[in-house]
Amino acid sequence: MTTESNPVYYAALFPSVSHVMKAERMLLGEGLAIKIIPVPKSISSDCGVCIRFEEKLLDKIETILKNNFETVEFRKL
Amino acid sequence: MIHKIDAKGLACPQPVVLTKNRMKEFSHIEIIVDNETAVENIKRLAESSQWSFEQTVSGADFIINIKSDKPQTAGSEKEAIISCGISGSTIVFSSDKMGKGDDDLGAILMKAFIHTILSLENIPSALVLYNSGVLLAAENSGAADDLQALHEKGVEILICGTCVNFYNISDKIKTGTISNMYDILNRMNSAARLINP
Repeated sequence: MTTESNPVYYAALFPSVSHVMKAERMLLGEGLAIKIIPVPKSISSDCGVCIRFEEKLLDKIETILKNNFETVEFRKL
Repeated sequence: MIHKIDAKGLACPQPVVLTKNRMKEFSHIEIIVDNETAVENIKRLAESSQWSFEQTVSGADFIINIKSDKPQTAGSEKEAIISCGISGSTIVFSSDKMGKGDDDLGAILMKAFIHTILSLENIPSALVLYNSGVLLAAENSGAADDLQALHEKGVEILICGTCVNFYNISDKIKTGTISNMYDILNRMNSAARLINP
């Protein structure tokens, strides 16, 4: 159980599932607490997955992903 | 005199319908059933008719005793809700991957699938995990937290003990019940619907 009652989450969105898989490996390799979730319907009705993480990790994850991926988008959930 | 009904093997709603019919003639009935849906239906029937209800477990079966303390007055009972488990689906995780094909893709899809179960209107009544499916319940699987949340919502999670030993992850299982072939098959056999991602 998380001790924080309602953490604020962000999602990292990629152009394809292959990018998600590569990013997942990269971030888990860094020991970061991330989670694969389906892209919320409010963002896109396409079948897709994205990477969810807590707001406190935003700066770190944004730096890593922007250095390694041409196209990555961040959305507050 | 106790009237006995053996309702094992009968499809829903037969056990409760049979019970209801006999309640007109007898004031103490013992019913043997083999699934929880029948138990719940008979329990609601007893409550709505103001009969006492007692239940004991005998192996995989349930022995129910219902008694009427006072004489029935016709038409006084409320209509009991009979449900044949519309929401009672069971999801079978026979692998830690969703579908067949690329394993990395299957692993990603499975994590997203399990997370999505939480948002279902009718959440399943049980999840069954066996073979590499048990890996999903191990900490750091990327799905264990969602399984824990489902468990807290009342979803029964049965995890194959043989498989947990095989993969040597006993100390990493943080949610669900380590189970056996009897309980797993029994759960699958009594499910209203089986989902196999």
